This record gives sequence, C-alpha cells and structure tokens, in this order.
Amino acid sequence: MNEGSLEAFDPEALASAMAPLLGLAQPPESRAQTIVHLRIAAEHAEKLSSVPLDDQEEPAPVFTP
Amino acid sequence: MTAALLDGSAHAIAEAVRSGSTSAREIAEAALGRVKTRNGALGAFTDVTATRALAKADAIDAARARGETLGPLAGVPFAVKNLFDVEGLRTRAGSKINRDLPPARADATIIARLEAAGAVLIGALNMGEYAYDFTGENSHDGPSRNPHDLERMTGGSSGGSAAAVAGGLVPIALGSDTNGSIRVPSSLCGVLGLKPTYGRLSRVGAFPFVASFDHVGPLARSAGDLALAYDAMLGRDGADPAQAERPATPVSATLHEGAKELRIAKLGGYFANSAGPDALAALDALARALNAKRTVELAHADAARSAAYLITMIEGAALHLERLRARRQDFDPDVGDRLIAGAMLPGAWAARAQKFRRLFRDEALALFRDVDILLAPATPCRAPKLGQKTFVLAGKEMLVRPNLGLFTQPISFIGLPVVAAPAWTAGEKLPIGVQIIAAPWREDLALRVVSALEREGVVRAPVAKYA
Repeated sequence: MNEGSLEAFDPEALASAMAPLLGLAQPPESRAQTIVHLRIAAEHAEKLSSVPLDDQEEPAPVFTP
Repeated sequence: MTAALLDGSAHAIAEAVRSGSTSAREIAEAALGRVKTRNGALGAFTDVTATRALAKADAIDAARARGETLGPLAGVPFAVKNLFDVEGLRTRAGSKINRDLPPARADATIIARLEAAGAVLIGALNMGEYAYDFTGENSHDGPSRNPHDLERMTGGSSGGSAAAVAGGLVPIALGSDTNGSIRVPSSLCGVLGLKPTYGRLSRVGAFPFVASFDHVGPLARSAGDLALAYDAMLGRDGADPAQAERPATPVSATLHEGAKELRIAKLGGYFANSAGPDALAALDALARALNAKRTVELAHADAARSAAYLITMIEGAALHLERLRARRQDFDPDVGDRLIAGAMLPGAWAARAQKFRRLFRDEALALFRDVDILLAPATPCRAPKLGQKTFVLAGKEMLVRPNLGLFTQPISFIGLPVVAAPAWTAGEKLPIGVQIIAAPWREDLALRVVSALEREGVVRAPVAKYA
C-alpha cells in the first residue's frame, strides 16, 4: 500500500462490494464490526508494506509433491 | 492424601502409582471429584469422560497387579482443549456449529500418545470459538475463569486448559497455539505452557484454524511435567503434512543441565515499547536471575505481527467461509465479524505476508547465531476483567481480544519453540508470564532455562487458592 492510501481506504465500499460476491449477509451491527476489523487489517497491511521485498523472495510455505 | 497429589506434579503422581502407594483409580476419582466441586466456578471443562477415565485407570492398576512396567505418565490425569478429537465426543472447537458434527471416531494422535504412556483422559476443556481468541470467553459455553481471580479472564484461546491446570483439576492439559493461544492463558493464569517448534508435534485430530501457524502443546505447573508430556507426544505421524522430518529428541534427560553456559538476551524494541510496567518488571526479574544483560532486537517484529495478523484473518476466513454463509447467526459475534472481514481482504496481502515470513525467519536465525535464548513478555499486562473490551497500550486504546497476543504473534509466526513461564511480584495475586524463546528445534534449551529458574524460585506455578 502506498503512503497516504490508508486515509483513502474505504472499508464501507469494500464491504458493500465483497459481501454479495461472497454470499454473506450484512446485518447492520455485524457490518459495523466488520468495518472496524477491515480498518485494523488495512493498518497491518500498511505496516507490512513498509518492508521492502525482492521479486525473488520465495513465500515461506514450500509445497512438496 | 490422594487428592493432595493433584496439587503436586505429574511426576509425583506417576511415581505414586508405579510404587503402589496409591492407585490409578484413586487418582482418577480424586480428579473427577475436583472437576465436580470446582468446575462450576472455573468453567474449565465442557465434557467429562468419567467412564473412560475409570476404565483406563483400572487397566493401569490391573497391569501393575500383573507385574507389568508402567509408563512414565502412569495414572496421570489430563484434559484437552475441546478442539482435539476424543473418540465418542463431538469436537466442538468452542463453537455451537460443530456440535452438529458426528462424534469423533478416534482420538487425536497426541492424546493417544499420552494414554500410551499411561495418562488418563478426564475430559475436554473450554476454549474461545474456533481458537480465534485471546480472552478465554465463549458466548456458547460461558467464559473460563481465572483461578487466581474469578472475575478475570483466563486468556485464550486455550483458556479452559490453563484454568484446569492452575485450578488443580489436572496437572497436565493440552492446548493449541496459532498466535499465542497456549502462551497467553499460561501468562494470565500463572502456569507453564510449551509451544513447540512448528512441525514438531502431530496436529492430527486437532480442529484447524490457520494451517500456516497451528501448533499443539502442553500446559503444566512445572518444567519437568511439560517435558514429561512433551517427550511422550514426540514422534512422526505421516498424516500431518506440516510435520517436519526431524528425529524425536526427548528433553527430560537434559532438563537439569542448567542455564549458566547459555547466551541469553532480552528482546527490546517492539517488545519493550508496548509492554506495561508489570510485563517489563517480570521480564527484568527473569533476566536478572539469568544474568542476562544484553538486549537485542528483531528489527521487523512489528511487521511480523502484522503479517501474522493478516494471514490469520485470510486463512481463518477461508476455513470458515461456508459456515459464515450458512450459519452466521450461530457464530460468536466477536469471532464471526472478524472472519467476515478476513474473507474480504486482498489475496496479495496474504502472499506478501508469506514472503515476508521467510525474511523474518532469516532475521531470527541470524540472531540465534549469537544467542541461545531470547526473553520477551508473554502478555502486555496481567489478566483483564471478564467482559473488558478495550485496554490502553503505549497510550493507545485497543481491542483486548486481538491484542493480548501482540508479543506472542511474531514468535509463532516463524514457528520458534517457546515456553511461557509465570513470574510473581511481591504482594501481587495475579501472575504474568515471560516468553523463553529458543532457536528452531531447541525446545530442550528453553526448558533447561525454565527448570533453572524454578530451582531459584523465580518461576513457580502454584495451584490457585481460590477454593
């Protein structure tokens, strides 16, 4: 996530777009809490994005056939 | 007389049963009696397997009467977080939904291994729903309660496991730890909890949460009992794809080798910045006792916590998506809303987090070239009150449920072996734990340190005197 995008992040819009795609009902109280958790997740994603990662970095889990 | 053995160690119980000074049946009856009298206050047990326990105890006594050699856990009562399969029980995993599943047809692998060593299963234990919890509260079964103060949290998600051990109902319990679910309740309830290296113990028969981070392990009141249980659970199980091809390396034989030759350092930076004064005082007390004067840093611990947080949300949501669609109203609201949010997150975040996980592993391994043991707080504070939703850490108000594990999460993120060990300060009736962290596959070193601290009286885990 680029600098400043946390302010631009719109969890309401994300929840509105994703709930029908996922087939999830959104009663008002649940939706409000979901939005709280989306905002927290975005803060964590921003922290994670501050660590530079090379294209060649391999993800931790390695599948063994 | 026999009931008093339940306040002591599993070692002492097994020795008493082997010597014939008490019988396995007397011990099992005493443990079942304690569950009957104490569980109403503690909310630790959700299922009691009395018939099975007495049959197992009788089989042990019969084996002794025939002159057979009894196992190292002969007659030791134990109980398991209710996400472990117990033959004949529905594996509720703290949920309402799973109660509709058929009863388990076999025991989880590590239950079978403990019983093969002579241990006696007494029942299954309360936990946070689907293990997505650091509080020990459960909207379906009620909260498990901290035996040192019944109005406070046990911590979660293995809250019933810690309450059962701290309350003197059983000397050993099994828990699971994805982000801290053994270590957080161990800290808040004043018991010892071992989260082994990722891939060490079989998870077969444990209801999953986040496959990338799921661990299983024991809680007990001494390093010796942790080692006893851990050694009995070692061994390959081809049915767990995450289990590593490593030799089983028992730890009991080296437990008393001391900590003097080990290079021990405190973790600073992230771990010091958000910890409350009680957590830092406990950390300093252990560091002083170990003559650990160095402070080192895992530079990306904060990002590691964030990466673990995101992978947990996304993998956990994927596991439960169908249940969220079909039975949203049957979830604990505090769990269901987090899972729904997890289902909505970009896949790129999870992929980036898994890439970063390897980098952070390398950062920790570099540190372990220079130190053998790292010390860090287990929780930022002592047990919050039941029902408490927020607390203030480093000047910022935060939710309790996701943030009690902010110090455990970066460590399980890369699968390091850890013992959470309780420290006490003068006049304080609530404990608080410290993480004793070793390099991958060196559970033996972490347990040696805890054992040395016990001998100095710095770490102890007495049965709570609430009764």
